Amino acid sequence: MDGGWKTDDGIQMVDGDNFRPKCIYVAVMMRRIMDAILNKDAMDDKDYVGNKRLELSGQLISLLFEDLFKSMTTEVKNLTDKMLDKPDKARNFDMSTNIITLGLERTLSTGNFEIKRFRMERKGMTQVLQRLSFIGAMGHMTRVSPQFEKSRKVSGPRALQPSQWGMLCPCDTPEGEACGLVKNLALMTHVTTDEEEGPLISMCYLLGVEDLELLSAEELHTPDSFLVIFNGLILGKHRKPLRFAAAIRKLRRDGKIGEFVSVYVNEKQHCVYLASDGGRVCRPLVIADKGISRIKQHHMKELVDGVRTFDDFLRDGLLEYLDVNEENNALIALYEGDATSETTHIEIEPFTILGVIAGLIPYPHHNQSPRNTYQCAMGKQAMGNIAYNQLRRMDSLLYLLVYPQRPLLTTKTIELVGYDKLGAGQNATVAVMSYSGYDIEDAIVMNKASLDRGFGRCIVMKKYSAVIQKHSNDTSDRILRPNRTADTAGRMQILDDDGIAAPGEILKPFDIYVNKQSPIDTRTPKSGSAANLPDSAYRSNAQSFKGHGGEVIDRVVLCSDKDKNMCIKFLIRHTRRPELGDKFSSRHGQKGVCGTIVQQEDFPFSEKGICPDLIMNPHGFPSRMTVGKMIELLGGKAGVSCGRFHYGSAFGERSGHADKVEAISETLVSKGFNYSGKDFIYSGITGCPLQAYIFMGPIYYQKLKHMVLDKMHARGSGPRVMLTRQPTEGRARNGGLRVGEMERDCLIAYGASMLIYERLMLSSDPFEVQVCTACGLLGYYNHKLKTGICSSCKNGDNISTMKLPYACKLMIQELQSMNIVPRLKLADA
Amino acid sequence: MEGASYARMPRVKIRELKDDYAKFELRDTDASIANALRRVMIAEVPTIAIDLVEIEVNSSVLNDEFIAHRLGLIPLTSERAMSMRFSRDCDACDGDGQCEFCSVEFHLRVKCMTDQTLDVSSKDLYSSDHSVVPVDFSDPAATDSSENRGVIIVKLRRGQELRLRAIARKGIGKDHAKWSPAATVTFMYEPEIHINEDLMETLTLEEKREWVDSSPTRVFDIDPVTQQVMVVDSEAYSYDDEVIKKAEAMGKPGLVEIIAKQDSFIFTVESTGAIKASQLVLNAIEILKQKLDAVRLSEDTVEADDQFGELGAHMRGG
Repeated sequence: MDGGWKTDDGIQMVDGDNFRPKCIYVAVMMRRIMDAILNKDAMDDKDYVGNKRLELSGQLISLLFEDLFKSMTTEVKNLTDKMLDKPDKARNFDMSTNIITLGLERTLSTGNFEIKRFRMERKGMTQVLQRLSFIGAMGHMTRVSPQFEKSRKVSGPRALQPSQWGMLCPCDTPEGEACGLVKNLALMTHVTTDEEEGPLISMCYLLGVEDLELLSAEELHTPDSFLVIFNGLILGKHRKPLRFAAAIRKLRRDGKIGEFVSVYVNEKQHCVYLASDGGRVCRPLVIADKGISRIKQHHMKELVDGVRTFDDFLRDGLLEYLDVNEENNALIALYEGDATSETTHIEIEPFTILGVIAGLIPYPHHNQSPRNTYQCAMGKQAMGNIAYNQLRRMDSLLYLLVYPQRPLLTTKTIELVGYDKLGAGQNATVAVMSYSGYDIEDAIVMNKASLDRGFGRCIVMKKYSAVIQKHSNDTSDRILRPNRTADTAGRMQILDDDGIAAPGEILKPFDIYVNKQSPIDTRTPKSGSAANLPDSAYRSNAQSFKGHGGEVIDRVVLCSDKDKNMCIKFLIRHTRRPELGDKFSSRHGQKGVCGTIVQQEDFPFSEKGICPDLIMNPHGFPSRMTVGKMIELLGGKAGVSCGRFHYGSAFGERSGHADKVEAISETLVSKGFNYSGKDFIYSGITGCPLQAYIFMGPIYYQKLKHMVLDKMHARGSGPRVMLTRQPTEGRARNGGLRVGEMERDCLIAYGASMLIYERLMLSSDPFEVQVCTACGLLGYYNHKLKTGICSSCKNGDNISTMKLPYACKLMIQELQSMNIVPRLKLADA
Repeated sequence: MEGASYARMPRVKIRELKDDYAKFELRDTDASIANALRRVMIAEVPTIAIDLVEIEVNSSVLNDEFIAHRLGLIPLTSERAMSMRFSRDCDACDGDGQCEFCSVEFHLRVKCMTDQTLDVSSKDLYSSDHSVVPVDFSDPAATDSSENRGVIIVKLRRGQELRLRAIARKGIGKDHAKWSPAATVTFMYEPEIHINEDLMETLTLEEKREWVDSSPTRVFDIDPVTQQVMVVDSEAYSYDDEVIKKAEAMGKPGLVEIIAKQDSFIFTVESTGAIKASQLVLNAIEILKQKLDAVRLSEDTVEADDQFGELGAHMRGG
């Protein structure tokens, strides 16, 4: 028989006149409610990952399509009805609409899913992939966003859930309002997709599920009977739930049913849950029979030889995917050695509980937990290689490192995701010591010679575009050959004869990069050929470069945009070396800006001749507790001295995926270093030995995309806002720096009244007004009579002149326009 | 004006000398002199390096600035550097740095015509002056010269081309590290190690071995015949205090006494190849002397007295 179906809310739907399944469903629900009232333990946890479903693109698009399809049919019906009402029915009728195309395009380009039919209204459902760094792109693709708003002040959904073990990364979450709500998938997580239900339901009946139709209510809840619930639908009951679950698992391992079907026996609720729906998170585990792993040595050898792949392991029933619910029926050993006879599964590797981004951190299990979270946020801002095709791309903004390196201290995750091939950082020799006083508050001191040799050097590529607009009157913009004798010739030196800047040219500020002209009149239709307008009908619309100078044109692309206009795109490249204030970070959430750059001869040196690339202040360690960074330094130092990349995978000491400090120290000692990684150092300034041994070695440093050059800003006089005549705001508009309320409070407290007067009026918006001392209203200055006149008294007898902030004058007038009359009373006029 | 002379006569003893490596002892002087020598070697001994690049054609994968930066870092043989002019002081060319007295011109023209990747290296740079050429790192003893291709600048695929003109100028490491002739310049205080033989004899052979092994570097060893601990290589000692700590941990403080001699230094100098290591040291001394001359010149002038007053007189030994 038909197993019945359900609505999207998962509630049993009525099949014809048969209300019985729905009755039973409601009754079971009530049973569960009463159970929960009597016993708080029986309460469901809504934050439990097993109760969550991820929405994938397929489901969302199908929903959108359904909505659009229904809209289209009604629209076509309306059109047809209208057509049929008209007298000339025989006219050919085009009933094609592009509702579906337009709707899909609009939804996908804006990311706003507004589906009234399903009461769905969500923003940001489609996002443009972050391409600023390779790791940023990877992180973006593993991101899981919540559907409810972020403003709610509840701690439950934000807290770390034990059930997210292995499924969602415990480290990678943003700080601030989305903390704990936006998550990232762990390394081996798989998200299921919908699977056909029909065959699975009939299989359940074959395996001994007693049909609900044939059972009385009393029979349904006998102590030995377990309800069988399939995708939230009650199928019936089974007397031997464990045998039933074992049978389904056997079928799954043999590949007879889909590998993502899950069975889970809930002893407490006397239920067997089967799930084949989409959006569940699951992960692979090694199957163990009575604690003995099914994967044997020869399997691994075949894998190493390349004869066997991951899918073969799955097909042969050596591995299986478990979802969060089914994990509750499994006893999973962390390592093969820990397995007992009860063990059913063995973890593949403990480091896979972390995601792609947290996997880059060496020794994360030695760090204070928030530090790993900080690094997850910063790793996405690191400059390096974006992709193999990075130099052929036309991104609007691209940050590249000139000499990216692979980290000396790697992890298995780094190798798996390919970060060792597309790195975003450099191995810097770091000395942990205080130097020069320019290293307080996490600032770092950099070696000038290292910078000269290319450390931290980066390329910033920016895209500028110019469109040759076609206007409504058939005229169009044009590009002119530069006039080499005109006054603007100096700014046109980089132009080719086609009026477009040539690749390889070095730009100066205000250089023209496309010598474009636009017709003055773009409205009135032109008689005759629009191409033959006289030169006087055009005005210059040349685009000039606003930058720092020293940028180079990398590439020029000619293409047409979606309105078939010619579009010229310029990729402009700027090579920068690190300067004071550029931001750097290690892989342990320890960011810092460059505090000073020091000559190499002033830098400390060891008797081996080693001179650090940068100096980090030791105060960065005690409160941050980033022990992982110290181990990275040790491991890196051992790595360079013995010529082997060392590993620092999370929790990897036991399985050999992370080198132990003891082993590292032994390597160091055998290469003539101190076991603790400290060196005897001489001051480069005096030549005397330093009093302390200095912890020195290589640490992988990332250059972050925040650079002073893009941020520094100051202004003397400059542009003002039209309405208030106050200076503009923001760097992009060459704005002023605001003396805000708090700054003002300080000045008041200090009694610096003249300073306040200057900052708030003279340097901002001073304005001379004519005030009538008789009526207290503002007058105006009559330039003919050369006197001030009060427009309400109609004379100039009692006018006095004073200075006021323009904003104040504006407010007085705005109030007047609202029938409120502010009057000024002048004390000594 | 004649005071007691504190002048010391430093002595240099060369231990090891190769083209690009020198190890010598500097005795009878103090850290300030040793360090001054080191600093001058790193930052103030002039060499010649490519400073200006005009790119004619570049269809390689690396961009123009990238290649220019790489070219700058290629060491050029700079024996001439000491006698050459800085282009900023050059009278012959008004400081534009393009004349024969202050600059050397290089040309590079490479195009890859085959399907094989072509390595463009420093050997493809053609110099206008045969005395200023990219440093040849090939081992003269090696017979197979085709293997050695110099410093790689860029790799080209079929159809890619690189054509450029480069101007090399004289400069010092203070301005840019590419002009630094020193790969490594470092010194250490010479250690003086005294083993307390009487106390040492109280140790068993096993304890001695344990103590000897506690040093990360091989400083001590046990004489296989007499079973006495002896100093094998005192300079291998890296002032790590490990043996002293070990002795204290073993309950024998004072087992060994290690003093850093304040007036003897062991220098290690490695050159980039731009000039010979020995020449690097000599040039550094020459520059140090010139700097001192600059100080002496000003001491005669009256302004010095006015400027420094009593201090000036004091400096002259008054």
